[in-house]
Amino acid sequence: MKHLFLRAALTVTLAAGINTPLLAHGPLFSPAPETIFKGGTQLTFGFDTRKVTGAGIRQKEYKSTMEANYGLTADWEIGIEAPYSWKQQNGATANGFGDITLGTKYQFWGRDLPAAQYKAAALFKVKLPTGKDSTTPRLGSGSTDVTAGLVTGYESRRWYWFASAVYKANGEGAGSLTKGDQQSLNLVGGIRPVLGNYKEPDTVLMLELNWENSQRDDLAGTSLANTGGWELFVSPVIWWTYRQIAVRGGVQFAIANDLNGSQSTTDYRGKAELVYHF
Amino acid sequence: MIETFRIAAFALVLVLPVTASAANKQYRLQVDGLACPFCAYGIEKKLNQTKGLENIDIDINAGTVTVTMAKGASMSKAQASQIVKDSGFTLRAFSKLAK
Repeated sequence: MKHLFLRAALTVTLAAGINTPLLAHGPLFSPAPETIFKGGTQLTFGFDTRKVTGAGIRQKEYKSTMEANYGLTADWEIGIEAPYSWKQQNGATANGFGDITLGTKYQFWGRDLPAAQYKAAALFKVKLPTGKDSTTPRLGSGSTDVTAGLVTGYESRRWYWFASAVYKANGEGAGSLTKGDQQSLNLVGGIRPVLGNYKEPDTVLMLELNWENSQRDDLAGTSLANTGGWELFVSPVIWWTYRQIAVRGGVQFAIANDLNGSQSTTDYRGKAELVYHF
Repeated sequence: MIETFRIAAFALVLVLPVTASAANKQYRLQVDGLACPFCAYGIEKKLNQTKGLENIDIDINAGTVTVTMAKGASMSKAQASQIVKDSGFTLRAFSKLAK
């Protein structure tokens, strides 16, 4: 029973991973259509924290992530993300490298206007089972997961908006556990309150609405009752930049959910990133 | 007197083009899609790879990039268009500024 509860908690925690920041330039908790310029390299150092409680589970996780993206062309970029986690669950702790993700994003449509852009892109990621799945709590899922998504957006001197749909297909992991496939839908609005110029600090405020749904987990052919369901988050984000440096931060607050059976729920997720491109 | 004037005029005709070609050429690029300072860095980076470039002035509010070349160097519209495209934007207009 305890084992099943632990698996259920892991489901909620890892369900949050569908909108990892790989290839992100814009929203913090969901993807954006922008790609880095041709020949450009972007490094992102991120720090995540999340708290999950309920159904006998108390879990806190801290994760640092290093991400590198490279612009093959102005429309096509590739990237790699490597996380390092510190996890605490009901008194048990584990720390170490998690699962590495390889990704690519292709901007297949764009329309440039004076001081504004419309863009649309497709993204594809593969999460590899490189993290330890034998620790408690687990640092890696032991599975190879594939994510595909579509994202579109508008960026102007004053206003921003983004919309995205992401689907993650999870492979079988350690202990014959296959986490349910996940879907997310995201809407983002943003504003630049002060219109500065190029060599001046720039601030953008964003508000994201993130809906995440997980299908039930499967354990050796048996669908687990206390898994799956959806959560809805509202996420204020602030983004500050100066030339080729950006600092971003935000918090996700769960405002609604419909989870199957008895499960722990997400209290909050926080994220901060330092981005540098050259 | 007239002969002196002719010689002076001839010398002036010879000198003026040399002087003009020795001046730094400036170009103004009107760029569409230029909304974000963080993104605009790509234009600066790509332009800095251009041989003979001396100075770049990006005005995001006006949507323009003013480029100053070193003496004897120049930039073509095709070259500017490719640089802007590789940066993720679109070149709307390209003009040479009179010095």
